[in-house]
Amino acid sequence: MSFYIHKTTCISPQQTFGDNIDIEQLRPSVDNKLYAVEPAYPQFKGNALRRMSKSTRIGSGAALPLLAGAPQPDGIIIGTQVSGMEENSKFLNQIIEYNEDMLTPGSFVQGTPNTISSQIALISNNKNYNITHVHRGLAFENAVIDVAMLVNESPQNTYLLGGVDEISLNNYTLDTLAGWFKKEDCSNNNLYSSATDGSLSGEGAAMFIVSGDKQGALAQLKAITTIHSTDAEVVENRIKTFLQNNLPEGEKIDLLLSGENGDRRSTHFYKNCEALQGSYTTIARFKHLCGEYPTASSFALWLACNFIGGALELPHHMLKKAGTAIGLKNILIYNTHKIGQHSCMLLSVVS
Amino acid sequence: MEITDLKEKLKVQIIQFLNLTDLTPADIKDDEPLFGDGLGLDSIDSLELIVLLKREYGINIQDPKEGRKVLIDINTMAAYIQQHAQK
Repeated sequence: MSFYIHKTTCISPQQTFGDNIDIEQLRPSVDNKLYAVEPAYPQFKGNALRRMSKSTRIGSGAALPLLAGAPQPDGIIIGTQVSGMEENSKFLNQIIEYNEDMLTPGSFVQGTPNTISSQIALISNNKNYNITHVHRGLAFENAVIDVAMLVNESPQNTYLLGGVDEISLNNYTLDTLAGWFKKEDCSNNNLYSSATDGSLSGEGAAMFIVSGDKQGALAQLKAITTIHSTDAEVVENRIKTFLQNNLPEGEKIDLLLSGENGDRRSTHFYKNCEALQGSYTTIARFKHLCGEYPTASSFALWLACNFIGGALELPHHMLKKAGTAIGLKNILIYNTHKIGQHSCMLLSVVS
Repeated sequence: MEITDLKEKLKVQIIQFLNLTDLTPADIKDDEPLFGDGLGLDSIDSLELIVLLKREYGINIQDPKEGRKVLIDINTMAAYIQQHAQK
């Protein structure tokens, strides 16, 4: 189950979009949140922009440059859990406030998860396969699996794959009360030294053009697996099996991109994964750049594509442990969301 | 409420209801057309404005012809609200 990634874009809390991509200089969190840096969106005409939810803006804004001047993709596959939750909350509040009467369509349309993929299709006039995966912390991973199956069936086809989520104040409040975000002030500069529950809230949109054609590809997504368990031993064994089954003989993981997020309750999962790698593997963390959100692994995949394709170098602030690996041939992305949902993605150079 | 105060209140409500975040009340002229070359609002916005009148002022516009006479500019909207407001 693999495919090749040809192009990618990302709108995130860091300077990751446009011509001046810079992940060396870390943009700080504000009130325990990492908000996406939004571009000007010249491609949205008329009244479209002011009606869009943030997730639709950043999702479409990241996707459209990939589609400009290119043949229509054979499908648009998006992973999102929260999606336009801010607009969704507005709509639900209106139902209560106005006693189910005089409801307007704007917030409802913008508050549904499939608005992102629909908006991309409408603007780009794409009438092909269009689907949104909403499997909580594995929404993006399920989109990846969907694309991998489509590519397996039709390797000549091209697909737009994306992961998008926004910070919704309602969800932020609920998740903070539930202990998923830090209650005390915490900056992304010292996220990993925090010894308390929860992480920093984040958001972003990462988009990828993928196909079964390796000609001109940036990287190959070699394998993916999802794990549903709160048992650290089960997760560790599944990661071990994943690597045994998918790493070519004699090869090791050169870089582990760890989704460690400063939540003391999930640290042991990441430590177990690190321990499987040994001294060869360089270990880096990415959640201080993008914050915690259900599709944060899409941000990690964007980083991995850029590292393996040579467009970006690993900044020092991401480094947890320097390994003895010299080149970058295989990158493992390991992420866990709310402890029970885990994923591994293996990205390799195009051979 | 004085007509001047009503117009200012209405501008704030229009900005809020239509998410015109790049505008301030001072940017909207009383006689500037709401649709077309003026503010550039469209048919979805007209629905939002009708809902605004119902929710905030208890005014129920059911006849599209009447709506076209009311939703011309701030002046016409404010005058109609003064005459027909239920709350």
